[in-house]
This record gives sequence, structure tokens and C-alpha cells, in this order.
Amino acid sequence: MFLFLALLDSPEEQEKFTEVYNQYRHFMWYVANQKLQDAQLAEDAVQEAFFALTRHMDQVEEVHSPRTKKFLATIVRSKAVDLLRKRKPAEELREYLAEEKGGGDLLEQYLTKENYHYLITCILELEDYYRVVFEYKYLYQMGDAQIGDILGISAKNVNVRYFRARKKLQEMIQKEGGRFERA
Amino acid sequence: MKEHKERSKGEELLTQVLEECLEEDLSFVPPEGEIARTHRFSQEFEETMRKLLEELSKAYQKKIQRHFSPRFGQWAACILVFCACGWLFYQVSGQIGGSRTTEEMADTAAPEEAASGEAFDAGDEGLEAAAEDAPASEEEPESAPSGGAALEGRTYCDRTVYPVPEQEVPEELGGVTTRVNCPVLEEDNPILMLTIGNTGEEDIRYQSPSELQVWLEDAWYLIPAGPESEGEWLMLEAGMAVDEEINLSVYQIDHEARQYRLVTHTEQGSVGAEFTFSEMFEKTMEEQED
Repeated sequence: MFLFLALLDSPEEQEKFTEVYNQYRHFMWYVANQKLQDAQLAEDAVQEAFFALTRHMDQVEEVHSPRTKKFLATIVRSKAVDLLRKRKPAEELREYLAEEKGGGDLLEQYLTKENYHYLITCILELEDYYRVVFEYKYLYQMGDAQIGDILGISAKNVNVRYFRARKKLQEMIQKEGGRFERA
Repeated sequence: MKEHKERSKGEELLTQVLEECLEEDLSFVPPEGEIARTHRFSQEFEETMRKLLEELSKAYQKKIQRHFSPRFGQWAACILVFCACGWLFYQVSGQIGGSRTTEEMADTAAPEEAASGEAFDAGDEGLEAAAEDAPASEEEPESAPSGGAALEGRTYCDRTVYPVPEQEVPEELGGVTTRVNCPVLEEDNPILMLTIGNTGEEDIRYQSPSELQVWLEDAWYLIPAGPESEGEWLMLEAGMAVDEEINLSVYQIDHEARQYRLVTHTEQGSVGAEFTFSEMFEKTMEEQED
């Protein structure tokens, strides 16, 4: 079960890992519970997050830093999303079918300073399933293989999810823009 | 591995937005201590995480053993040479300092006694009691710690250790309790987790790191840690527990010693948690069976 633990290859990293655990486990549980609304399932998400963290401690530079806190929030949210989707697999199919319609990737055109406020609203509304992929990619500059390792999917599937996320965000900005213009 | 691809302006903007949104989300999360008060992790969770942390140190130990190379041997040799030089310097400086008058030596010893007297403030009552109980002796052991005048030192790992003033230390005192994660420790595992819990209704202050003591035939003796391990007083809120990692590799450990304990000093008194090493534990069990 714990074979992968050998990946933490220095006492400093082990110490850091223990410190992270002691410092943030309750915070991580809270973030997971906000999403799952189930205390037990939230604990499972925290556990999964820590297992994944053993392989990505290189992302943790300072234990007591906002960046680390954010990174842990992203990991635990992505694990919570996984658990949620395992519980409701039918929803994924519906979403998948819904996403298949629509045009090409025009997101870059919508990412402008003029759309900043729409963007904030859209990201806050964007499902965590997609948002975490953006966070891993842009906030922590992780590659597809690394993201795939945390999410438990292949690098190819990370890429697929990333492009779906872009498309979803694009649609949301289009809708949000239209709503503001109409108002 | 970090991607160093050039980012478009749009992507930079998206990064900024993601950062801002995440900050906003996290601004609603209460502080860790507050969450800890409302949620207690299940036993199953605690157990799995305890195993995970334990496996971490074991896995690392195995890795060290597997990858032990001449490089480590060179380091060890360097440290040995350094220690030998230190010892020689100590001997030489001792001879030079030996010409000082008795008065001079007494003058220098006085502030040292005062300083170590402060360090033992927490245990003063126990110390006085121990001093009264002990047989009166004219000859004090050389360089014995202050207050330990009537207590004799013992040789442990080629150095003299002294009995602690508080021989009787409870496991629980006024709601404060300590536990070790592994009461029977593997010899090759130098990491021990000590949980200090405060089940009382008031916040307490405790001294960190805890003291390591060893049982040698007739009493508990203090094993001094390295000079770098200075103690500090920390706060532990009511109803909270804290895990302290004890790295035994900073001490000289004799695995043949029957029993060890970690003593945590609090403002209310001291509490202790005992542990032993697996070989000695097995030996003791065999003896008891016989």
C-alpha cells in the first residue's frame, strides 16, 4: 500500500511532509467537506490527497506559505471531485454529451483585460473538475504527466480534460458577456 | 518538473484570475484550530495516517541501508577526525586552564551554577526532595549538574549521566497526557512521535523538546541532547493535541538499556511516556516467561 513512499527521499522532505500533515490536515478536511458535504468522505479525500502529495513534495517549498496552502487546497479539491464523480458516474456521461456540441477553441480571444470581471465570475462558477486542471497547469506549472499522476489518469486524458475545460470556460464567458450586454 | 513554455498574455491573465479566485475561496476557511475544535478525525483516518508516517521513516531507513556508499564512509571519517581534534583541543586547553587558582575556578563556577539552577526551576521541588532523600556525601561527583550534589553519575555510552531530580513522573497530570506512537521501537528506527494532549479546560504551556531519560539499574538518568537542541516553552490550547517528532539519532542510544522515557515539563508539573527497544523487549518477555 505504501510502496510509493520511498519517493520521499530525504529526511528533510519527510519532516516537511509530517509538518504539512500536522499543520493543514484540518484545513484540507474543511475544504473537502465544503465540496462533499460528507465528513467521512471528506476524510477519504484528505487521505488520498496526502498519498498523492508524497509524490509531489517538490511543489512544497515553504510549509507555512500561502502557495503551499493553495496547492493543498487544489489537491484536496481534485480528490473530492474524484470521489464525488465516483458516486455519481451518470452525471459525467451527461456532461460529456453536453460538451460535445459547440465550436472550436476560441478561449484565447476571450482572455482579455476587458473580460476580467466576467472571467472572475466564470472561474468561480466553473466546476472544480475543470478548475483544478487549470490550477495545476497555470498556478503550479505542472506538466500533463504530473497532473495525471495526482488525478490518477493518463497524461492524454489530462490534455482532453484541459481542452474541455477551455471550451467550457469559453462558453461561460460568451454567456456571461451576453448577459452583461443585455443588462 | 516545471514547464518553462512561454505564456501568452491571455494565459497570464487566466493565471492571475485563478489565483484571485482561489484566494477568495480560501478566505472563507476558518483557522485550523477552529476547524479542529469542530471536527475530530475518525480513528480509522488517524490509524491510516499514523501508518503512513511510520512507513515514511522506515522506507527512508531501508533506502539509506541500500544506498550506503563510500561517500557516507568518507563523511563518517571526517566527523571522526573532527571529534578527535575537538577532544585533543579540549585536553590541551584543560592543561593550560589547569594553572588557574582555586578562587578563579570558584568564580567561574558560580554563574554556571546559577544558570543551571534556572534550568531546573520547573523541577525544584522534586529536586529538593530527592536531595533530602539521598544519603549525605562529602564528595561531590566532578562536574555534576547543580542540585545533583548528593546524586551519583553513572557511565552510559562512554559518558557520565546523572539521575533526574524527579524520579516519579506520572503519565497524566491535570488533563495533560503524553503518548508515544510506538512503545516498542525497532532499533533501526530513530524517529518517534510523541503526542502531547491537553484534555483539560485551560491552555497549558509545555517545554519542547521533551527530555529523554534512561533507566539504569536503580534510577532514571537524563540523556543530554546536543548543544543545538535548546528548549522553548510552547502553548497548547485546551482540548488540543500536538505531535512532536523525536529524532533519537541526536542522542547516544544504548539499545541494551531496559527502558527509556520521554518527559515533558509543563507549568503544572511533568508527564512521561515510556518506551523500549524491540530486542530488549523480547529479552524481557523471555525472562518473564522463564
